[in-house]
Amino acid sequence: MNLAVRDIRRHPGRFALSCIGVGLLLTLVLSYSGIYNGFVHEALTLIDKAGADVWVVQRDTRGPFAEQSRLPEDTRYRIAIVPGVAAASPYIAYTIQREWRGRPLRFVVVGYDLHSGLGGPHEIVAGRGIAQAHYEMVADAKLNLPLGTKVHLGLNDYTVVGLTRGVTGSSGDPVAWFSLADAQEIQFVKDNWAIRNLRERAKAAYATALPTQPTLSEVLAREFADNPDLHTVNAVLVRLDPGFQPEAVAEAIGRWKYFTAYTTEKQSQLMLAGTVARARMQTLLFRIFLTIAVTVIIAQIIYTMTLEKLQPIALLKLIGTPTRTIVGLVLQESLALGLIAYAVALVVGRLTYDKWPRLVLVGAADQLTLLAIVLAICLIASAMGIRRALRVDAGAALTG
Amino acid sequence: MEVVRIENLTKIYGSGRTAVTALREASVGARSGELVAVLGPSGSGKTTLLTSMAGIVEPTSGRVTIGGVTTFDDGWKVRDLGRFRREHLGFIFQSHNLILFLTARENVLVALQTRGVTGARAVRIAQELLDYLGVGERQGHLPEALSGGEQQRVAIARALANTPQVILADEPTAALDTERGQSVMALFRRIARERGSAVICVTHDRRMVEGFDRIYHVKDGLVSNGRE
Repeated sequence: MNLAVRDIRRHPGRFALSCIGVGLLLTLVLSYSGIYNGFVHEALTLIDKAGADVWVVQRDTRGPFAEQSRLPEDTRYRIAIVPGVAAASPYIAYTIQREWRGRPLRFVVVGYDLHSGLGGPHEIVAGRGIAQAHYEMVADAKLNLPLGTKVHLGLNDYTVVGLTRGVTGSSGDPVAWFSLADAQEIQFVKDNWAIRNLRERAKAAYATALPTQPTLSEVLAREFADNPDLHTVNAVLVRLDPGFQPEAVAEAIGRWKYFTAYTTEKQSQLMLAGTVARARMQTLLFRIFLTIAVTVIIAQIIYTMTLEKLQPIALLKLIGTPTRTIVGLVLQESLALGLIAYAVALVVGRLTYDKWPRLVLVGAADQLTLLAIVLAICLIASAMGIRRALRVDAGAALTG
Repeated sequence: MEVVRIENLTKIYGSGRTAVTALREASVGARSGELVAVLGPSGSGKTTLLTSMAGIVEPTSGRVTIGGVTTFDDGWKVRDLGRFRREHLGFIFQSHNLILFLTARENVLVALQTRGVTGARAVRIAQELLDYLGVGERQGHLPEALSGGEQQRVAIARALANTPQVILADEPTAALDTERGQSVMALFRRIARERGSAVICVTHDRRMVEGFDRIYHVKDGLVSNGRE
C-alpha cells in the first residue's frame, strides 16, 4: 500500500491543480531555454545556409547582417581572382515591411546570384527555385504566401514559385529570396511619383541657387532625383577551392584596403556577439529567477502538504512505522508533483511552441537539464518537509 | 506474571523553580488478559504515565518493564523505541486516531505493513479484525464517512493488528455518547478475555470503569491502587 498515492487520492483536484500550476511555470523555464536556442538558430540560419566559406564586406564593418555594409557589385570580379577562390558571388540582405492584403508583410529580402547559387534558398519544400532573372521569388512558409501568389514590391509584381520552411533572419522575420537584380530594384528603385516629386523640389532649390543657369539646374535636379546606381551589394560570398583554408584566404583579401573578410565561423561569432549576447544574458537571468521562483513554490507546496500530514505522521510514528516509510511518503509525493508537472511542461510546450511568434527550439539537452533541475528541486523541497516530519513527536498523536 | 511493570516512576518537567512533577514514584502493574483503569482528573498525570509506558516521554527516574523487556531503568534501555512499540503495544485514543486519507481497511493494513505483513494475508487479517469488531461492511469508507463509534472500532482493529501484548487506550470513550462508550468498553473486556492482551485504559470518566479488573487513581502525580 502506497501512502503517498492514498494521500493524493484524498485531494486529487488540489494535487492536479498544483501539478498544472508548477507545470506551467516549468513550461516557462523550458521555453526560455528554447527562446534562447531560437535566437541563436535564427541568427545563424542565413549564415549557415548561404554555403559560403568567406564573407567579404565593406571595410571595418561587420555586415551584412550585424550592420550595414555596401560594396560595388563588381567587387566580385576582383575577389574571384584571389588564389583559392572557386566562386565569388554578390549578396544582398535587408528587411522590409509592406502592407499586403490588409496585413503587414515583414520579411528579409535576400538577393543572390542565380548562376553561383551562393546565398540562395536550399531545402525547398514546395514548388521550385528561381529559374528566371526577374519577377520570381522563393518565400519561407512562415510568410503565409501560397505558391503562385503575386506580391507587389516597388514597381513590379513578384510570383512565389517556391517555399522553404524555418528560414528566418536574425530578428525572426522570415526570408524571401530574389534574383540579385530584383533585390537591388526593390531596395533602391524609386517609383515615378517619387522621382517627379524629388525633381520638382530639387529644381526649386537649384533655381534659387543658380538663377541664371536654368539648364544646369534642370540637369542637376534630374541627377539628384533619378534612381541611383543600382549595382551595390552588401557582401560578396566566397566559396573556396578544395584544400584552401578560409582563414588564409580571408587574411589575403583583408589586406586590400577596401574590404574586410570574415570566415563563416567568424561571421557567426560576430552575429552571436552582436545580436544574441544581450538576449542570451537576458534570458539566462530570467531563467535563473524563474527557477528560483519555481523552487520556492514547489518547496512551499511540499512543505504545506507535509504540515497538513503532521497528525497522521505522528500517528504513524506512534504505531512504530519505520522512518523510511514516513520519508517515502513525503519524498514520493514531492517527486510525483515534480514529475507530473514536468510532463505537463513537456506536453504544453509541444502543443504550443509552433504558435509562438518567435522560434522556440527545445532540444533533448534542455529537457534533460530541466528534469535534473526538477529532481533537485523536489529533493531539496522534500528534505525540508522530511526534516519537519521527522521532528514530529509521536506523542502529538495522543494530544491532537 | 505481570506483562506491565512500572516501578517508582517519576517524571519532572522543566528544572529549578519552574520544575513541575507530573508523576511521583508511581508503580503500576497489569497481567495478560487484564483490563486496567487509570482514573484521574485532567492534569493529574495520567497521560504522562501512559506516554512513559509507550516510550514517548522519557521519565526522570524509575523502571518500566513491558512484556519482559525493560525499556527504561533510569534511562532508555531500548534503542529503537518505534520498533518496540510496533512489536509490543497497541494504541487507542479519543480522537485523531485514524489516518484521514486511508479507508478503514487501509488504516488496519498500515499497521500490518509496519510489522511486515503484506499482500493477501494482510488483507485477510484486516478483514477478520474489522469483522470481529463489527465494522467489516464499512471497510472501504474513509474515516470522515464513519460515525465516532465506527471510527473507534476501526482504531481498535488497528491496535489489534500487531497482536500486541499491551493495549494503551487514552480516553477512548471521551468523544462517544454513553451507549457507544459502554459498547467500546465491552469490546475491551472481550479483547482482553479472548486475545489475552492487557488493556490499560486511561480515563476521567467514572461511568466507564465497571468491569475493570484493576483500577488505579492518579492525583497530582501520585498513583494509588483503588480496587484489584
